[in-house]
Amino acid sequence: MEEYIVSLDNLKKIADELLNNHCRVIGTTSENKFKELNYAEELVLNPGAVPTSSSFKEFFFPKTEPLFFYKQNHSNVDLFNPIQDKSKIVIIGAKPCDAASLPIISKVFNWDYKDDLFNSRYDNSLIIGMSCHYSDEFCFCNDLGSSPENMKGSDVFLKPLADNYFKVVSVTPKGAEFINEYQKYFEKDLGKNKSLERKEENPKHFDYDKVKTWLDNNFENKFWDTAGEMCLGCAQCAFVCPTCHCFDIVDEQNGSCAGRRAKNWDACQFSLFTKHASGHNPRDNQEKRYRQRISHKFKYYMDKFDEVLCTGCGRCSRGCPVSLDILQIVEEINSLSGNSNSIQ
Amino acid sequence: MNELKQICKEALTEKKARFIIAYREDKNKKTKPFIARTPEDAEQIIFNHQAVNNLAVYFPRFKNSGEGKIGIVVKSCDLKAVTALIQENQIKRDDLFIIGVNCSGVVRDTTMEFSNDNTQIKCKYCQAKTPPYYDELAEESKEFEMPDDDQAELMARIEKMSSDERLEFWSAEFEKCIKCYACRQVCPMCYCEKCIVEKSEPQWIDTSSTARGNFSWNIIRAFHMAGRCIGCHECERACPMDIPLTLLTRKMGMVASSEFGYRHGMSLTEPALIGTYSTSDKEDFIK
Amino acid sequence: MDNIYKPELVEIKDIIDETPDIKTFRLQFKNPELQSSFAFKAGQFAEYSVFGEGECTFCIASSPTRPEYLECSFKLAGKTTSAMTKLNIGDTMGLRGPYGNSFPIEQMKGKNVVFIAGGIGLAPVRCIIWNVLDLRDQFKDITIIYGARTVSDLVYKNELEDWKSMSGIKTVVTVDPGGETPDWKGEVGFVPTIVEKVSPSGNDTVAIICGPPIMIKYTFPVLEKLGFKEDNIITTLENRMKCGLGKCGRCNIGSVYVCKDGPVFSYKDLKTLPQEY
Ligand SMILES: Cc1cc2nc3c(=O)[nH]c(=O)nc-3n(C[C@H](O)[C@H](O)[C@H](O)COP(=O)(O)OP(=O)(O)OC[C@H]3O[C@@H](n4cnc5c(N)ncnc54)[C@H](O)[C@@H]3O)c2cc1C
Ligand code: SF4
Ligand code: SF4
Ligand code: SF4
Ligand code: SF4
Ligand code: SF4
Ligand code: FES
Repeated sequence: MEEYIVSLDNLKKIADELLNNHCRVIGTTSENKFKELNYAEELVLNPGAVPTSSSFKEFFFPKTEPLFFYKQNHSNVDLFNPIQDKSKIVIIGAKPCDAASLPIISKVFNWDYKDDLFNSRYDNSLIIGMSCHYSDEFCFCNDLGSSPENMKGSDVFLKPLADNYFKVVSVTPKGAEFINEYQKYFEKDLGKNKSLERKEENPKHFDYDKVKTWLDNNFENKFWDTAGEMCLGCAQCAFVCPTCHCFDIVDEQNGSCAGRRAKNWDACQFSLFTKHASGHNPRDNQEKRYRQRISHKFKYYMDKFDEVLCTGCGRCSRGCPVSLDILQIVEEINSLSGNSNSIQ
Repeated sequence: MNELKQICKEALTEKKARFIIAYREDKNKKTKPFIARTPEDAEQIIFNHQAVNNLAVYFPRFKNSGEGKIGIVVKSCDLKAVTALIQENQIKRDDLFIIGVNCSGVVRDTTMEFSNDNTQIKCKYCQAKTPPYYDELAEESKEFEMPDDDQAELMARIEKMSSDERLEFWSAEFEKCIKCYACRQVCPMCYCEKCIVEKSEPQWIDTSSTARGNFSWNIIRAFHMAGRCIGCHECERACPMDIPLTLLTRKMGMVASSEFGYRHGMSLTEPALIGTYSTSDKEDFIK
Repeated sequence: MDNIYKPELVEIKDIIDETPDIKTFRLQFKNPELQSSFAFKAGQFAEYSVFGEGECTFCIASSPTRPEYLECSFKLAGKTTSAMTKLNIGDTMGLRGPYGNSFPIEQMKGKNVVFIAGGIGLAPVRCIIWNVLDLRDQFKDITIIYGARTVSDLVYKNELEDWKSMSGIKTVVTVDPGGETPDWKGEVGFVPTIVEKVSPSGNDTVAIICGPPIMIKYTFPVLEKLGFKEDNIITTLENRMKCGLGKCGRCNIGSVYVCKDGPVFSYKDLKTLPQEY
């Protein structure tokens, strides 16, 4: 297979063509946020940037979306499917910890029943990933079997080279097709452009298997009494997280006889999330709700779907108003795991 | 620093407080809230420019939680929340052991060092570096240069806008809201057991994060803060979407002050503005 | 697009006022083809909706052996249920389902069956009772023990009489102490106590039990004492649900999603799960 490189300018030209072809092009901007681009010039690719404060999941799983619309006239009811935006979604510049989230959450959205709202967008998307040259005390992709160069979830993968060039790796057939389609913007790699080396390896923090084993055996453990003690129960962590996928279903009337049923982001850190209509709440304090967050991410999802429900991007910790750091929590579990019998 | 630790240790040893809501540093040198229950825990207590959290937010959790005083480490601005909560009958002064700290400003961005550029706006209009009352006081205050009140400029700009322009400004800001409710959860004055957005019969506010739902949420929240916001700026710091939430609450506080001569959280004895009526209250806004 | 969240339309054919706050709706699909193709098993649930108000989860309370209609019994609890109490015969609702697993009817065949229910908990149990009664010769002795807080809180009053008059079924109805009326002829006492009193043999017997968590909690040990095997004690859970499809993430108990892996669990299964229900 041919090896290609592409310049930033040509990437923007591709973005331009995509926009002209009515694709939804999502890229990072000068504010370091994922945004649906209006014009290609807005695109800023910075492999050394910190992960964006919010993930790009809203382009696949919006913060609110209609499930259907209804019209009601006494006992006559008509239901209408939402009109689907058939435009192709192209993400440019996803970090490995962003791109990897899509195949992970796709599993729950396709567990038995297929959520076509999610699928219609995901199936019709192209993810251009990019290796990451950033790392801070909140990053831990390495600990979860990934790395700053991991291509999971990407269709095309870019590796930064000197002089605003990128080496292009075709990861999936979809990616190969894309490279083919925009062939004219790619150049043969003659090995002239030096690749930008990452300065240092990301450190290893914990052994996932050890963490999983501890979680398997310690649903009841005094560790949980203090782990989430200071958590305020907002949903910043879940809403910025690329892998959190919980939602609520609500009806909204618009006038007296029409309206919609909507699917809205929701999160296990909210106190009403699991409250029964009777008033009984199986997770009646924040400590239990925090246990759910950690356990769902590092145990339950693995048990069910053979994936960790976390890519190690560190967003939840960077944004937490009380600096609750998920990595430090997992590290603590890791260290408890060595002597899991003595701390019951 | 040692003085604060010492005070807290003594308070816990002598059972002046059954626990102390305070700050500690984690292994990455990040300052965060924690609860010190034993004199050994108190070893971890620190105070610095990164101690941004308003710890009064944790009070509701300890309502009716047992005998003995609740200890809390407060900056001058945090104490306003404590005072306001006492004024609103949420907590009793006698149930608290207040450890005041002299503060010389806290950071705006917790990922960066404290500097003149990285200081919270509230520190600009903070009137007392030393909490006006306390059970114990720790820390020497250091002089620091006041940051520019860049919010005042923005405020002036918005005041000059036509109502359409203002609507446009706020619509664009609220559009960003994702209804994570971090602003509500960090706010020491948001203590309702059941928030209005959780009331479904009738449903006052659309829970969806649509333009309409976001607008009603953000405006209702602001209204519920009218004359009650004590200006800790925690909501704005917590908002992951960078919405300038305190523009609204601060402005309303300014109106409460100019129209009613009242500032919330400043007096243990004065009744809360929101709960009082006086025949001398202005009525010219009723049209 | 295949929209898993869009319900089918059903018409309310009949409304029965069971108690001051419980009603039973008899529903039929507006599309007759759906009515004949809709298949479900005893123990499954569905999502019922009032458009503009919301959606909520109830078990299907009628028996799969009677496919001409579907029934649900609901208790006034919140937004959607209160909207439902205002509906009339002929009104339209939405229905999605059936979802979840079902009672292990094959495992019950050839055995004695004891049904134990409290309050509205009789709804899912009623479904399997009729299912079993419609296949009567495939089961041995049948015992029904049902309790409610007061006489007026008893649901399916006519059916309780039917069951009492059927031969080969032992039906015991009880109300909590203080809930009896002067002419009450049934038992007085909490369900666990009455189970102990009736004392069905656990030998070769399956117990189906549903009701308030507290009732279930105190009945389990009684059943164990009577010799019931852990995997012959079957119950159904009511974790908060929204989607019923294993997507919205709120019904899990540990790694188990009640909407997909449940709602029916044996006591043996429950013992392996964390206390999160
Ligand atoms: C598998 C399964 C089977 C079930 N079967 C039946 C059945 O056969 N019959 C039956 O009657 N029920 C059944 N239930 C329970 C039923 O689903 C609930 O009672 C119903 O969903 C309530 O819906 P609602 O819209 O009326 O309540 P909601 O308006 O949704 O109110 C309850 C919820 O809203 C919030 N809430 C709203 N208002 C308040 C408030 N004032 N205080 C506290 N919280 C509040 C809470 O989160 C609470 O959990 C079943 C549940 C499950 C999971
Ligand atoms: S961990 Fe932090 S961000 Fe998440 S709910 Fe708790 S306080 Fe909010
Ligand atoms: S849990 Fe935190 S670190 Fe993990 S994927 Fe979500 S935001 Fe990133
Ligand atoms: S961590 Fe909580 S909000 Fe996130 S997916 Fe899991 S249950 Fe949902
Ligand atoms: S509204 Fe904001 S600034 Fe005012 S008290 Fe609440 S968190 Fe502090
Ligand atoms: S913190 Fe910001 S995004 Fe979250 S609900 Fe408040 S205003 Fe909206
Ligand atoms: S009800 Fe939504 S996941 Fe079970």
